[in-house]
Amino acid sequence: MANEAEDTIRKLSTYKGVVGVVVVNGEGIPIKTTLDNHISVQYAGLLTALVDKAKTVVRDLDPSNDLTFLRIRSKKSEVMVAPDKEFILIVVQNPVE
Amino acid sequence: MSDRKAELERKKAKLRAIREDKDRRRREKEQKDAEEALQRASATSSLDSRRDIDEMLSSLGVAPVKDVLSSLSSMTSLSPPQTASPDASLPHTDKASLQLQGGPKKQPQELQVVFVQSTDIPPKETVIYTKQTQTTTSGVTELRDVLTFDGDVARQGDDEEAAFHGKLPPGILPHGLPTVKEVQPAVTDAPVEKKDEEKEKKAVRELSADEKQTIMLSAEFQRFMSRAGRVIERALAESVDIYTDYTGGGDGENALYSKGDDKSAARLSLVRTFEEERWSRGRCVTCLDWSTFHPELVLASYYNSDDAPHDPDGVCLVWNTKFKKTTPEDIFHCQSAVMSATFARFHPNLILGGTYSGQIVLWDNRVQKRTPVQRTPLSSVAHTHPVYCLSVIGSQNAHNLISVSTDGRLCSWSLDMLSQPQETLELQHRQAKPVAVTCMDCPQTMLNNFVLGSEDGNVYTGCLYGQRAGVTECVEAHAGPLTGVSCHAAAGPVDLAHLYLTCSVDWSVKLWSLKESKPLYSFEDNGDYLVDVRWSPAHPALFAAADAASRLDLWNLNRDTEVPIASVQAEGGAAFSRVSWSPAGSLVTAGDDRGKISVYELAEQVWSPRHDEWNKLVYTLQELRNNQADDDAALSPPPSLSSIASIASNPLR
Repeated sequence: MANEAEDTIRKLSTYKGVVGVVVVNGEGIPIKTTLDNHISVQYAGLLTALVDKAKTVVRDLDPSNDLTFLRIRSKKSEVMVAPDKEFILIVVQNPVE
Repeated sequence: MSDRKAELERKKAKLRAIREDKDRRRREKEQKDAEEALQRASATSSLDSRRDIDEMLSSLGVAPVKDVLSSLSSMTSLSPPQTASPDASLPHTDKASLQLQGGPKKQPQELQVVFVQSTDIPPKETVIYTKQTQTTTSGVTELRDVLTFDGDVARQGDDEEAAFHGKLPPGILPHGLPTVKEVQPAVTDAPVEKKDEEKEKKAVRELSADEKQTIMLSAEFQRFMSRAGRVIERALAESVDIYTDYTGGGDGENALYSKGDDKSAARLSLVRTFEEERWSRGRCVTCLDWSTFHPELVLASYYNSDDAPHDPDGVCLVWNTKFKKTTPEDIFHCQSAVMSATFARFHPNLILGGTYSGQIVLWDNRVQKRTPVQRTPLSSVAHTHPVYCLSVIGSQNAHNLISVSTDGRLCSWSLDMLSQPQETLELQHRQAKPVAVTCMDCPQTMLNNFVLGSEDGNVYTGCLYGQRAGVTECVEAHAGPLTGVSCHAAAGPVDLAHLYLTCSVDWSVKLWSLKESKPLYSFEDNGDYLVDVRWSPAHPALFAAADAASRLDLWNLNRDTEVPIASVQAEGGAAFSRVSWSPAGSLVTAGDDRGKISVYELAEQVWSPRHDEWNKLVYTLQELRNNQADDDAALSPPPSLSSIASIASNPLR
């Protein structure tokens, strides 16, 4: 059911402090997003590259290891990335004050 | 040519002969049958048959039947009723017949009383069980699928290949018959994009709405979302701002942080509440259970909701106490209201629920379905009344699911085979009066016994298997229906498994022992219906009781038996309906009738026992007994201070 996936995305985007949610497929193309199109595309393109790089880092250090979660904390926001085999879930959040 | 003709002629002749033979035989048989029927019809009159039999017998030298029968009846009237062993009567008949041969007159018999030694050895009782496994209704076709490999597209050679496969050892010619197939092209996620890539540059690419929709509807995507969604939710819920600056002065949170543990009165403090907008609102919590594999998971089952008539009646939610996320881990629902639920103790993925209709449903958290994967039949073989009590008892290899419904029927099920119970037991006490069970518990060490609480205010104890299966004892416990029964759970150096607590709508909690039929103590501190009582799994003298005035009490028998050591009132005015302890004994959860579950944390010194607590409890129990004996002696005039059991009058308690 597509409803459950959409429900999950909607629920995540209503969490306190969450700015937006983007789901990206393996090619770096956003499939579902709650942000503007060009911002989503930017996030998708940049983060896909970063996730690949992070994956190579983890695997080069230990071939049996794999990347499970990536969290980028910046001054103004926090980006949480949950990569998978074919998709990437990106959540942008403002820190809870 | 002529030979063939001759052959054909011969064959025809033979066939004709066989046919004629058959006809003849048939006719003969019919004739015989007709004759026999005639004979039988003629012999229906008993006199005729008797005459025939008499003739036969007299020809053999035995007295006619009539006389033997009459002699037998006279014998039975004369001799006292012995064990009706045929041996005793035969020598008499012989004697009688010998005598009667001379004349048909009845003469008084010379009878002797023969005492036959009869010993009755009951067979050795072996409790056996048979095990069956319920499989999904699939025909032979599925088996075939399993035997053949996925690559086989052609179905004609199926039989041969299957047979062939069985004869060859694995590894050699796995397909049986070598087949030549094309190499399948590599399946990619979105083959459309490949073409686009060639056309456009490596710039921003767009997917059409349809393509996006197809991807979103795929099962892969759903699974990914449920996995990643869970992880992100937990991360979001935990987000603490690691950059908070404490030098800037403390706000409310910091203040609480620093002196959170000082308050000694916070023995019992509300940590969090579990409620779900869609699925738990307005539904009474009917049961709480904790998982043995993951002690942070708690299962809550809910009754049906009046505000949402279109939603399914029965809901079961699995909550996670480790993470701070406010949504349940799993949501399950079924068509009938769930009255009791339990994790399958020895299986990490199964959840069982007993419903109002009498069905027992099984959910599996490995499949993405929210509806049950298996159900018991709705027939008189199983339950037809609400199943209030459900528990998995036994050990890893030999466990059963015990379910009791309110009409007094106890069914024992095997988790593999839910299409029929392994055993059913009608719980009746004495005058075939069924017991209306409201709650049940099994003592920790005595796995064959159970303790039941019923609507008539009595406690029934009994055995599950064996010769004396069923209710054996009845104790008049309370003045109203019992709402909760709890057997002692904290295992320690002293065996206290014979203790159990009961609570009922008569505002009291009573402490009992399996060895005695009178209560050891009665706790009367409440001012409303008691809804549930539970022993702590860690501390031997600690138990929690909740009442309908939304008050949760914590009692420690070693500290004080008159008043609870901690008590908390939940705001909101909703009445509690269930209480349960976490397996470690540090958290108490209480569900109320509005669908909210409140999780209370206990202070360390309250819930963790010292090693002398068990001995102290034994001492406390002894004191209670002495006090009760003194009271009884003071009340009743006959000065029998000997034992409590001898005192007939009921104490005022």
